Amino acid sequence: MPHLDAAYNLARWLTRSPTDADDIVQEAMLRAFRAFDGFRGGDVKPWLLTIVRNCHLTALGARRRQALVPLPESVEAGGDVLISPGADPEAIAIGTDQARKLGEAIAQLPDEFREILVLREMEDMSYRDIATVTGAPIGTVMSRLARARAALKEKWLKDVEGGCRELH
Amino acid sequence: MSCTESRRTQAYLDGEPTDADAIEQHLGSCSECSEMRDQIVSLRADIHELAPYYRADSSLRNRLSGALDREAPQSPRGGWFSRPFWTGTASGALATACAAMLAFLLFLPPQADRLTNDILTAHLRSLMPGHLVDVASGNHHTVKPWFAGRTDVSPPVAEFTREGYALIGGRTDLVDGRRAAVTIYRHGAHIINVFAWPADDRSLPGIVSRNGYHFVFWKSGNVAFCAVSDTALDELLGLTRLLKAMATPDSRE
Repeated sequence: MPHLDAAYNLARWLTRSPTDADDIVQEAMLRAFRAFDGFRGGDVKPWLLTIVRNCHLTALGARRRQALVPLPESVEAGGDVLISPGADPEAIAIGTDQARKLGEAIAQLPDEFREILVLREMEDMSYRDIATVTGAPIGTVMSRLARARAALKEKWLKDVEGGCRELH
Repeated sequence: MSCTESRRTQAYLDGEPTDADAIEQHLGSCSECSEMRDQIVSLRADIHELAPYYRADSSLRNRLSGALDREAPQSPRGGWFSRPFWTGTASGALATACAAMLAFLLFLPPQADRLTNDILTAHLRSLMPGHLVDVASGNHHTVKPWFAGRTDVSPPVAEFTREGYALIGGRTDLVDGRRAAVTIYRHGAHIINVFAWPADDRSLPGIVSRNGYHFVFWKSGNVAFCAVSDTALDELLGLTRLLKAMATPDSRE
């Protein structure tokens, strides 16, 4: 049931909490169920994920919602070194440590970066569908995606691949 | 980013409809964009391979199905049930039970896209320096046993040198979160990766083309396969025919 999983995965990354994600998904499914009559056809997934995202924003409340708006142009590199220099990306047994660190790196991204990376890289969604879910114009989707990748790379890839530093 | 093509290159790498030939050509001459390509591909591979993808667990599914059950009687008829797709299944006394079931049908489209994308990512990553083979050998007596214990399947491996497909080695990889055995062949200037992993009851996409790569999926017994390459589709199908012919006839379904 990929769409339920997609709903849960998005909720889980947005809330960063399993219990909150459960609540969001339940609420979103009920809303989707009630609103299905108004669904005008097309792809179900962006429609459902839009509901998930709205449920999340509602739950966050007006106070935290405002905190979502300002977004730094370039995210600070920060002092946290996330990867041990000896990490071997080819290791056959995938290091659970690496997985944990990448998970943390994503979780630490600003909300708008995190959600766009989840939608693009995990859910394989087109720019247009991402624009639908996030309510942002496609041009914004593209530039935000580029900045989200740069921010995540700064936290993660640089250490793995041996340091490409021309970020800005 | 100073290159004026970087936006289009990014869109191309994200699978958006673009002039692929023009961008491929541009990538050949622009170091900035080709560096961006490597970074996006590598980051994508890391996210697919390492970052958790959270799935709804069974207790959430149960609670949901309960909640939707309770919801169903109040929901106006003409909502779910008037839709042509549902009409065959939903009828009379079964309506309530169906409502919950239909809700889940809603979440059941093919997972094919993700699978293809997984394999494309793994293929592109394998083409980056140092990622192609874990065991380099043109001898199937070396490659095939190497998979034992490292993967959950034992795919057919052979040298098809005479037919133009030279075995160059083996590798392990992840497909759909499962350990896959990858056999690598060279055909002319092209690399062909053949992925094999334990099949489940989901259907496979068949033949797919994306971003200039061809994917041929098939099942043999309880093993799922995908051959991927940028070689011509006919040439790729030549190898898959040879591999299918090798499949043991008594393999269990």
